[in-house]
Amino acid sequence: MTDNRVEEKVAVQSEESRSQSRRAFLKGSAAVAGGVLFTKAASADYDPKKAVAPYAGEKEITEPLQDGPWRKRLGFGVRRYPYGVPSPYEKDVQRRTLEWLTPDSMASITMTPIQSLHGIITPNGLHFERFHGGAADIDPKTHRLVIHGLVERPLIFTVDDLKRFPSISRIHFIECPANGAMEWKGVQLNSVQWTHGMMSCVEYTGVRLSDLLKEAGIKLDKARWIIPEGADASGMSRSIPLEIAMDDCFVAYAQNGEALRREQGYPIRLVVPGCEANMWVKYLRRIKVTDVPLQHREETSKYTELMPDGTAQRFSWYMEPNSVITYPSPDYRMQGPGKYYVRGLAWSGRGKVAHVDVSFDGGKNWHEAHFTSPVLDKAWTRFEIEWDWDGSEAFLMSRVTDETGYVQPPMPQMRAVEGTNNVYHRTAMVTWRVHAWDSKNGGLIENVQY
Amino acid sequence: MFSTKKSLIAAAVVASMAAGSALAMSSNDKGGDTAAAAGKIEGKWAANYREIIKENGGKYLDREVMEKILGSDVNSLRAKLDPNNPYSFEVDDSIDGGPHGNAQCKVPKAFVEVWDSAEKNEKADYIANKFGKPIAESALKIWEINVDGDGNGWPNVSEEEAVTVEKGGNIYVQFCGMCHGEFGEGAKGYLPLAVDEDLVTSDFRDPAPMKTIGNYWPYATTIFDYSRRAMPFWSPNSPAIGDKGYLGITAYLIQANGIPLDDEDTTLDDSDKATAQVIMAANKYMKNQGNFFCDHRPVTHNKRCMKDCPDYLVGDGAGNIHHYRQARRLPDGTPQYNVNQRLHEAPPGVGHAGF
Repeated sequence: MTDNRVEEKVAVQSEESRSQSRRAFLKGSAAVAGGVLFTKAASADYDPKKAVAPYAGEKEITEPLQDGPWRKRLGFGVRRYPYGVPSPYEKDVQRRTLEWLTPDSMASITMTPIQSLHGIITPNGLHFERFHGGAADIDPKTHRLVIHGLVERPLIFTVDDLKRFPSISRIHFIECPANGAMEWKGVQLNSVQWTHGMMSCVEYTGVRLSDLLKEAGIKLDKARWIIPEGADASGMSRSIPLEIAMDDCFVAYAQNGEALRREQGYPIRLVVPGCEANMWVKYLRRIKVTDVPLQHREETSKYTELMPDGTAQRFSWYMEPNSVITYPSPDYRMQGPGKYYVRGLAWSGRGKVAHVDVSFDGGKNWHEAHFTSPVLDKAWTRFEIEWDWDGSEAFLMSRVTDETGYVQPPMPQMRAVEGTNNVYHRTAMVTWRVHAWDSKNGGLIENVQY
Repeated sequence: MFSTKKSLIAAAVVASMAAGSALAMSSNDKGGDTAAAAGKIEGKWAANYREIIKENGGKYLDREVMEKILGSDVNSLRAKLDPNNPYSFEVDDSIDGGPHGNAQCKVPKAFVEVWDSAEKNEKADYIANKFGKPIAESALKIWEINVDGDGNGWPNVSEEEAVTVEKGGNIYVQFCGMCHGEFGEGAKGYLPLAVDEDLVTSDFRDPAPMKTIGNYWPYATTIFDYSRRAMPFWSPNSPAIGDKGYLGITAYLIQANGIPLDDEDTTLDDSDKATAQVIMAANKYMKNQGNFFCDHRPVTHNKRCMKDCPDYLVGDGAGNIHHYRQARRLPDGTPQYNVNQRLHEAPPGVGHAGF
C-alpha cells in the first residue's frame, strides 16, 4: 500500500461523507426549524403540505438539469465483466493493513472497511484477512478432509463428498480476538476500520460438524476435544472442546453464495459460531478427535491473555458482546447541528443481541436504539437511533446487551480488571468525541478513550 | 504440583479482580436482596442453577440471575475457579491430565444453551451416509504431526540417532537465527524466543512485556510441535531439518531459555542428546506453566442502566466525561485522522508486538 493511495482514499472518503452528511443536515436542520419532528409526524395523519413544510423558505433550483454523458451513448455490454466488480468510484473502499503491525504480509492481517459498509453482510472481496502462513492456493480436486482419532471408522472425504451431505446455511460474524488490540493502552487510531475491522459477517453454507463426527462414529464416551488442522503452510490448529464442536459448528464450503475465497480457506474451513476466528481453521484437512488438548502455539504462546498480575487466561473461546457506532464515526465529519440517524453494529458470540443503547454524554444517560436488520444468532445486528445534534460537544457511545443478559462494560471498568497487556478481547465500549460546532475543529469526530 | 499452583493463581485472580468487583458492587447492590431471594444457595452456589436460568429466560449472564446462583460475591470469581461451580471453565485435576499438567478447560455448565444443543446433537440417532472412504491410521503418518502437551505423538528418534544440543544449536542458527536471533533475541521484527522479561508492568501505558518460551510458554512440547509444523516460515516441516533436527532445535531453545530438567535445576549441556525424553523432562519445569488459568470471562456483570448512571460507569470511571485520552495531535492541533499520517512512523508499541 502506497502513501498516495491512502491519501487519496481519505480525501475521497471524507468528501463523500461530507456530502452525505450535508444532505442529512439540510433536511434535518430545516425540519427542526419547521417544528416538524420525524417521530411526531409518524403518529399523525399524513398531510402533504405538512410533510414538506421543513423545505419552506429554501431557495429553489431553477437551472435546467443537463443530461450526463452516459445518457448520450451506449453503456458496456453484458459479459464485459464475467465476474462483476464494484464501480470504479468505489475503489477506495478497501481492506487495509497497518504496516507496523507485522514484519511481513504472510503472517499479517487486513481490516474490513466497516465505516463504508451497510446492512449486516460483508462482501467477499472485503472480508478481513488473517494469515499465519500466507493464503494457500489449493486445487479442490486434490483436497481431502480426514476425520480420525477417537472414532470407530477413520474416514477421508473429497470436497464433493462433503457437498453430498445435508447442508445448512447460517449468517455469522467472524472476529479475530485481537480486534481492537491497538487500543488497550490508549487511543491511537481514528477509524472504525482500525478499531473494529478485524471482523466480518457473511452467510456460510456447509455440513454440520456433528454429522461428520458421527459419520465416522465418534466415541462420545472418550472424546473430549477435536483438533482441526489446516493444509496451509501454518498447519493452523486449535483444540476445541467437544461441547462446542457438537453444538453448532460446521464445515463450510461456501461464503455469501459462492465458493469460499482463498483468503478465507478455499476449499473448506471450519465455522465455530461466536468463537475466536483462529478456531475457524481454514484449508481444513484433518480433524483429530482426542481426550486431551494439543497445547498448540496458538492457544499457549498466542491467543492467551496476560493479566496485570502476570497470570494468563488460556482456552479463550467465546467472543464477548460488542458494539460500535459506524456513522457518525471518525471517518466522517459533522456538517452542522441538526438531525442525524446514528447507526452501527452490535454482535455477541453467545447468541442474539437483545438491546443496543446509545449515549451522547459519555455514558451518563442512554437511549435504546432500534434494529434495522434481522436479529440473528451470533451475527452482526444493525442498529439506528435518531439524534438532534444541538452543536455542542458530545461523547457518543454504544452499549450492547445480549440475550444472556451480559451488558457491555465501559473501558475503565475492563481496564481495572484485565489490565492493558492483554492484547486480545478488548471488547469494552469505544467513545467518539464530536467537537462542538463553534469550536476550532467544529464537527470533527475523534476517537477518545476514558 | 499443579494443583498447588492453581490455588495460588486463584488467590491472585481474586486480588486482581478486587478493583473491578469493588467498582461493580458499589452501586449495583442497592437492593441487597437478590441472594436472599433465591433462597436455594447450598454452600457456595445454587445447585438448581439450571431451573433458575430457565425461569429467567435463559439469561445466564444476567447479573441478577448470577447473584441468584452464585450469591452476592458474583464478582469475586473465587468460586468460579472451583471446578464444580456452574460458571467455572476449570476442569477437575483428576481429569486434568495428571502430574504433567496438560490442563483442560471446559464450557461452563451454566452455559446451558451450549450443553443442551450439544447433548441433543450427540443423542440423535445417526446412520452413516457412506459418503466418505475408510482410511487406515497408518496412511496418516505424514499428516499426523500433533505432539500434544502429554507427549503423545513423538517421532521415533532413538538416543543413538539423536543429534546433540550443540548440533541443534547449529541447525537453529542456520535455519532460524536470521529471524529469531542466534540466541533467541529476535531480529527484523520477528519474535524473540528467549528474552526473560518480567510479565508484570508497573504502568499500564508501558509496552506490553515480550512473551517468550522461557518467561511465558507453558509447554515445551509446543516448541517441537510448532517448529516442525510451521517453521522455517518459508519452508515448514522441512526435510532438510527432519525430525532429528527439529528435536535438536527444540533442545537448543530449552537450553537457551535456561529451562531446568529436574528439581536440582540441571540444564542441558552442549553434548547432551536432543531426545523426546529430554523435552518431556523440561515440559514439567516450564517456569510459567502454573500461572495459566482457564478463561473466566466475562469479568464484568453490570446492570443495564438507562438514566443518571453511577459514576463508575460514566466517562473516566469516576463520572468525569471530559477526562479522556486522545491520539497524538498534528502540529496544528488537529487529531491524526488518516493512516497516511502514521505510516512509516515507528511502531507505537502498544502491546501487540509479534501479534
